[in-house]
Amino acid sequence: MLENYLPVLMFIIVGLVFGALPLIAGFVLGPRRPHPEKQAPYECGFEAFEDSRMKFDVRYYLVALLFILFDLEIAFLFPWAVVLEDIGLFGIAAMGLFVGLLVIGLLYEWQKGALEWE
Amino acid sequence: MEQVIFYLFAGVLLFAATMVISVRNPVYAALFLVLAFFNAAVLWVLVGAEFLGLALIVVYVGAVMVLFLFVLMMLDVNTAAMREGFTRYLPVGVVVAGLMLLQLIVVILSEQVDLIGGLIPEPSAEVDNVHAIGQVLYTAYVYPFEIAAVILLLAIVAAISLTMRRQRPNTQRQDVPKQLSVTKEQRLRLVQIDKKNRRHTSDT
Repeated sequence: MLENYLPVLMFIIVGLVFGALPLIAGFVLGPRRPHPEKQAPYECGFEAFEDSRMKFDVRYYLVALLFILFDLEIAFLFPWAVVLEDIGLFGIAAMGLFVGLLVIGLLYEWQKGALEWE
Repeated sequence: MEQVIFYLFAGVLLFAATMVISVRNPVYAALFLVLAFFNAAVLWVLVGAEFLGLALIVVYVGAVMVLFLFVLMMLDVNTAAMREGFTRYLPVGVVVAGLMLLQLIVVILSEQVDLIGGLIPEPSAEVDNVHAIGQVLYTAYVYPFEIAAVILLLAIVAAISLTMRRQRPNTQRQDVPKQLSVTKEQRLRLVQIDKKNRRHTSDT
């Protein structure tokens, strides 16, 4: 079973090397002549004048939250689709109830206007 | 070979988990948490829980961490003020950590938990993990499964009722049918310009 994951391991290693090597090469080979002006943070030529942390509309979190919930629903659909032939009608009914309950949630958020952006 | 991989990823996991609670910038802490999730997923795949490992990446790294980063990057967090409360909240934190440790010990030391619908088959070449989960999740464990749907529904309703409480008066909605059904007469006004006294003859 684990042999199937060998390509994944290879990808992890290749990805790490591919990401780390240019950084290390730049760090080792690049000339380093630091200067206080050069190292100062700036935004578009200006000095940074405020913290990037600021209050945002709560709707951004709402979008992320709703995404998590429906993401979980999809996660439940995967094993169901794999074993659908074995569990038959009962499985379809079980998933029907599951999705039906979440459709109520979808209708609720639709009706409440949570899907609309103002 | 499997042992080497296990210790490698477990080591990175411990390192990342330590960095999550010790690093100063909360955004870095969240990114280390992503690293910890990835390594935990690898460990789960190593013990045969393939589906859980992949679900960890999809759900936690893909969705939960997005929310965490949203909150961390957008919230007006004063990191200095947060650090002040460290000793004040220490007793509560110790109690919570102790409870979690106790739960873990109880779970690990306990006998095999009662399973309805027979034992879950060991993942092997014939029965893979996703099959094994699917065989029991939608049949023997259908009641907890539907309860999960109710909890998700509850979360949807709670999230909406918490964030959509007040109607903002001066927000503008986009009404697509209205935009599409607009005609030329409603938007365009042809103005005759008098050539002699060159001024705009705006009639309103």
